[in-house]
Parts: sequence; C-alpha cells; structure tokens
Amino acid sequence: MTALTNSAQEPISQAEALYQAQLRQERKFRANVGVSWGILFLILVFLFSGQNFQIGAFTFKTITVDTAFILKNISFIAGGLGQTLLISTLSILFAICMALLAALGRLSKFPPIYALSTFYVSLIRGTPLYLQIFFFFLALPQLGIVLTGIVSGVLALGLNYGAYMSETFRAGLSSVGKGQREAAMALGMTPSQTMRRIVLPQALRFAIPPMGNDFISMTKDSALVSATGFVHELMWRATKVGRANFNSLEALIMAAMFYWALTLILTYFQGKLEARLAKGDR
Amino acid sequence: MHHPIVKISNLDKYFGRLHVLKNISLEVPEKQVVCLIGRSGSGKSTLLRCINFLEEPSHGTIEVDGVIVPAESKGKEKNQLIHEVRLKTGMVFQEFNLFPHMTVLENVIEGPVIVKGMDRQKAIELAEHNLDSVGMLFKKDEYPLRLSGGQKQRVAIARALTMQPRVMLFDEPTSALDPELIGEVLNVMKKVANEGMTMIVVTHEMGFAREVADRVIVMAEGELIEDTAPETLFTNPKDPRTKALIERYRSAE
Repeated sequence: MTALTNSAQEPISQAEALYQAQLRQERKFRANVGVSWGILFLILVFLFSGQNFQIGAFTFKTITVDTAFILKNISFIAGGLGQTLLISTLSILFAICMALLAALGRLSKFPPIYALSTFYVSLIRGTPLYLQIFFFFLALPQLGIVLTGIVSGVLALGLNYGAYMSETFRAGLSSVGKGQREAAMALGMTPSQTMRRIVLPQALRFAIPPMGNDFISMTKDSALVSATGFVHELMWRATKVGRANFNSLEALIMAAMFYWALTLILTYFQGKLEARLAKGDR
Repeated sequence: MHHPIVKISNLDKYFGRLHVLKNISLEVPEKQVVCLIGRSGSGKSTLLRCINFLEEPSHGTIEVDGVIVPAESKGKEKNQLIHEVRLKTGMVFQEFNLFPHMTVLENVIEGPVIVKGMDRQKAIELAEHNLDSVGMLFKKDEYPLRLSGGQKQRVAIARALTMQPRVMLFDEPTSALDPELIGEVLNVMKKVANEGMTMIVVTHEMGFAREVADRVIVMAEGELIEDTAPETLFTNPKDPRTKALIERYRSAE
C-alpha cells in the first residue's frame, strides 16, 4: 500500500537523490570486488595448472595435478556431501536444543540450575572438539555404551556447538526488555505464555544470524567425524582415495572445493534470510 | 452507587530497607478519574504498579472489583487472585511496550485471544472498534517500529481497552513523548474517561488533571499528602509541599 503512494511522477527529493548516488557507488564497489575475486580464482587455478613459464632468467613451474585421477574419483568424493549435510543438520538441531536449555539455565535465579548450565558450558569449552568426538566413539564402549560413528559425531558436535551457542541465545533472551515481560504480565499472560509468545520470538530473531554462522562452521567441523573411520562424509572419502592411490593432493583439493562451494551456497542463503528478518524490523 | 472498583488498605512497600509506600489506604469508586501527582521518587508509580502486582506489596490488601488479594496470601492461590486482578485492570506504560514482532492488530488481539480465549474473529472486531476509537485503525497492519511515539501510545491504550478492564492504570503515559505528540494521547485519554472508564493516572500533565480528573491525589515521601477536587488543589492547597509542587508546575508552564 505504502509503495504505491510514491508514484514515478513525483520529483525526487534531495535525500532520495543522495541515497540513489550512495546506492550506485555501493553497486560499483561490489562489481569491482566481484571481478577481483574472479581474477584471484583464476590465479589459484593457474597455480595448479602444471605450466612452465619464465620471468627473466628464472623458470617457474606451477603444480601439476593428476586430472585423470580427479575425473575418476570426483563422484565418489561428491557422494560424501549428503553425509556431511546430514551430520551438520542433525548436530545443529541438537545444538539449538542444548543452547536454549543452557541459556535459560544461565538466566535462572535457582543456583543449582544456573550452576548446571555454567558447568556444562565450561566443561565443553575447556576441552577439544576432537577429544569429545573420540570420547563418545572410543571411551564410552569401555563403559558398555557402543555408539555408531554418526551418533557419536552428532552428540559431540551438538553438545559442543550447544555450549558455544548458549551465549548467543542468552544475549538474545536478555535483549528482550523488562517492559516486554511487564506488558505481557499486565495483560494476564502466564510466565510460560510470556516466554513462548513474547520473549522467545524476539530472542530467536536476534539469534538467527549468528546461528547461520554456526551452521556454516558446523559443516566444516563435521570433517572431524571422519576420524572415527565409520562416517563416509567428504573428508573420509577424500583421505581414503587419496591414501590408497598416493594422490592426496588431488583428493584434498577436491574435498576443499566441495566444502568451499557448500559454504558459499549457505552464506548466500544466510544473507537472504538476514535481509528478510531486517525488513520485518524496520 | 459508590461501589469502589479499587480499594487499597494499609499498603506498605519496601525495597530492601527503603520504605517507599507508607500505610496507604485509598478507594476509587466506579467511573472516577483520579490523577496521582508528586515529585519523582514520591512513590506514585510504585503505588500504581502495586494495584496490578507488577510490584508485590509488602503488607496490606489490594481489592479490585471484588477480588481481594492480601499481601500475606501465598502460592497458587495468590497467583490465581493476581491473574484475576490483572484481567480487571488495563495498564498503559510510559515506554508503550508494544510487542515489536507483532502488527498493531496482532498486538491488540493478543491478550483477548491468548489470555481470555476469545474467538479470534470476535477479538478482531473488538480490536478494530477500539483502534478506530483511538484513531489508529488505518495503521492496523503496520509494525510498531513504523509508528510515532504518540501513535504507539494510542495503540497501547487500544490494546489495554480490548481486554475490557474495569479500571485503566496509566503510568506517566506522555512522559516519553515529544511535546507535540502529547496532545493526541491526552485527547484519547479524555475520550476514554468520557466513556465512563474508571482511571488512575500517574502524570505531570497539570492541564489534563485540571480538566479531566474528578480527583487529584498528591504524594510525597510514600504518603498521600493531599486528596481533593482539582479546583481546590490549584486554588487552595493545604500542604506546603503541594504548594511548592504547584509552583514548580506553574513556572514550568
């Protein structure tokens, strides 16, 4: 409705003209950055092209890669994308639950609950993720609890990211002012209605952009799960074919490209999501 | 018919060791408009917030439209009584406190639908009627961030009215507004008063007190020092502290 009131015939105001000029400048800058990215990518490709070239008296040789090996194994490595995404998705969902519980615990006025939350966060942040994955996979069987590679991976990644994300959630929950709670209480809402309908929706909106970053990090940290040897995701497949044929260079380059592509795609969608959330706010 | 809608008996409130409300008793009959004035720190906001238990009274009894809540009651029973009191009171805050993630209409129907379990369609009709009477129906699908302060406060009044309360509590409703936006909110409040709503208003707006209030209560140091009709207050104040307060407002105007 409001968009229609700004008809095309209306003269453009000074402020509008300034805004348009800034927009044009920004677009130009982004276009230049895009071209530079293209050039940097070509340089990277060139470094692995196996060419000889001369500068003055020196002869340089760029890195040669085994293209036959790449073509033969690319589909095998790509087959790990599904597992990588599956682990990352399951882990982030688990992490969100843990983070929410830990954040609520952090805001609790009941000392044992507060302690439980800070204890969990401290223990997890104080130990390496790599160790945590092995703990679930290798240490628990000694106690008679045998978990598959995927389950150990998801538990460890979820617990680990949950501890880190709890800080984001806590900040989100405290970003909702006291006045919001009071307004809900004055309307007669119960504490749980206030939490579900007033506080959480606002806290989540605040927490979604950092959660997107965490999900992107998670897709890469999921590579650590390959160390269990039983989850056939990208990293596991790359190391397997690389070692077997003495072609780790090519195998790891392929895996790197897949991770990178995945990250770029996820970053793109995250940008879209953030833009949409920002629109609701302004 | 002088059935009191709000009856406060022997109310005390402490913040730690600070005694902010001292043995206050007060009755507000139906349809009366009461203005609470006083310097900041006199306890007027705290008194207002004790009526719907945003502040817990330390001693004494709050009664709203027949629901009696002694400060000494406890647990589930007390929570139930407080809930009933809140259903009978509408509150308007200095900082508006609209829910930013909901549109104007959603803000207004939230209480009736979620708290009272009112049929959504019926709530929308009621909400649109009240938004219309505060002059905000044309913004019903906007988000609060798009509204001016005065518009936000009018929506907040409509939100409180749509709960169909027996008494409206206003906590300095114009203190956060730019001067040129105060008038539109006061006009809406005047309209609500003319429609027969019982109102307790904490305010610094002397013009509003003089014109709309049936009764002005002056607070100082946690006590009610004056309780009178507005004319007498301005022409013939009893307490020297009231005199000083009126002088301050006069010189500000």
